[in-house]
Amino acid sequence: MTAAGEVLRVENLRKRFGKEEVLKGISFKVDRGEVKVIMGPSGAGKSTLLKCIDLLIPPDEGSIWLEGVELTSPGINVNQYRRKIGFVFQEFNLFHHLTAIGNVMLGLTKVRKLPKNEARELAEEALLRVHIGRDLWDKYPAQLSGGQKQRVAIARALAMEPSIMLYDEPTSALDPQLTGEVLQVIKELAESGMTSVIVTHEVGFALEVADELMIMFDGEIIERGNPSEVIYSPESDSAKVFFKKVLRLGGVGR
Amino acid sequence: MSNLQVLAKYLPYIFDGSLWSLGLVGAGLGIGFAIGVLMSLGQVYGNPLIRKIVDAYTWFFRGTPLLVQLFLFHWSVFPAIGLRTTALETSMLVLGMRSGAYQSQIFRGSIESIEEGQVLAAKALGLSFWQQSLYVVLPQALRKAVPQLSNEYSIILKDSAVCFVLGVMEIMTRTRYVTIATGIALIPYLIAGALYIALTYLGAKAFDMVYSRIRIQGLVTG
Repeated sequence: MTAAGEVLRVENLRKRFGKEEVLKGISFKVDRGEVKVIMGPSGAGKSTLLKCIDLLIPPDEGSIWLEGVELTSPGINVNQYRRKIGFVFQEFNLFHHLTAIGNVMLGLTKVRKLPKNEARELAEEALLRVHIGRDLWDKYPAQLSGGQKQRVAIARALAMEPSIMLYDEPTSALDPQLTGEVLQVIKELAESGMTSVIVTHEVGFALEVADELMIMFDGEIIERGNPSEVIYSPESDSAKVFFKKVLRLGGVGR
Repeated sequence: MSNLQVLAKYLPYIFDGSLWSLGLVGAGLGIGFAIGVLMSLGQVYGNPLIRKIVDAYTWFFRGTPLLVQLFLFHWSVFPAIGLRTTALETSMLVLGMRSGAYQSQIFRGSIESIEEGQVLAAKALGLSFWQQSLYVVLPQALRKAVPQLSNEYSIILKDSAVCFVLGVMEIMTRTRYVTIATGIALIPYLIAGALYIALTYLGAKAFDMVYSRIRIQGLVTG
């Protein structure tokens, strides 16, 4: 039923909000260890696509398969599968009332039902993996910088031992000087074999980490392939215009 | 013995009434809390039917006088459903149901003030609806609601005085007995008033203390 090594498969995913069709039949699959980067202008439906995959937004049509299980089949216990999908939000969404380590431990104790000491050990490991040192573990989100918050959020998702990580513009809400520390962490995780789908505007980063780059435009994937080919010699006019703007702004042109 | 001396003898009797009043308030706030939390969740996340039921409930308890509610439940509703309650029990239940209506509005507001992202993040971790409510939404919403709960305390404390109509031995009932026994009205009622002010003040202080202990920087502004 499922190809060896396939982690995620999205088939003909459609979503409309009112009259506007935001996703017009998206299909792709992600293999184990693969890093997919999705780029495209805002309003293209990238964020909706990621949220539909995690069923945070219910898709209208199409199917989503995670490791051979169809998440979109009726009667499925969604919560059981969401824990296998790590989701990193643009706005971090750390729980305000919990400390950094409390944020990471919540899913471990309540969803994975681990005993507290075991959960704490795993949380510490996850925090160290995203370079959040001991001195920050007991801080509340409001006491952390944006970059620290996002790294704690990554640790929170990571500690659940997900099969795949979805990043929804993880650095868009950060000051430019803080994006580096977050991208570095994501890159390290990707290099360690973490299957990932990353929505980002960071061209340089996409070039570095992506196994495949997909360009979304107006609810469709209009181009996909090797990242440098897609970025430097896109075929469609929409992608050409998009990269012209992005490269000029980002200063990564050649 | 002069009347004033008699009055002095009765003072502890009035003071003991504050324990009854606080008992009424404690029960009212406690029962109201349980009702309020459930109803607010129903109002924010429930289906249209649940929302309608909650709406009807809050309209009834916020729209009718406490006096009517006390009589209605003590003399007709509770007996009709086979519940034999003492005056104290009726008063506690009615104050609780009434406060539940008000508290549901307080919690509804504080739940709605929590960003959607908090719930999304909880869902993304795989928390069920009740886990999301219990571990993410309510811990934040209830913290935000403490100042309004303090206000609710001061209101329900004064509402409890109405329970004298059922003969509950709270401050007001006892004060009335003393005025009848001594023939002095002014001083006993002044004392009762002072007692209510003192209890309001102490209660507000207690809520302030709780609030400063559970407040989390960044969760509640200011």
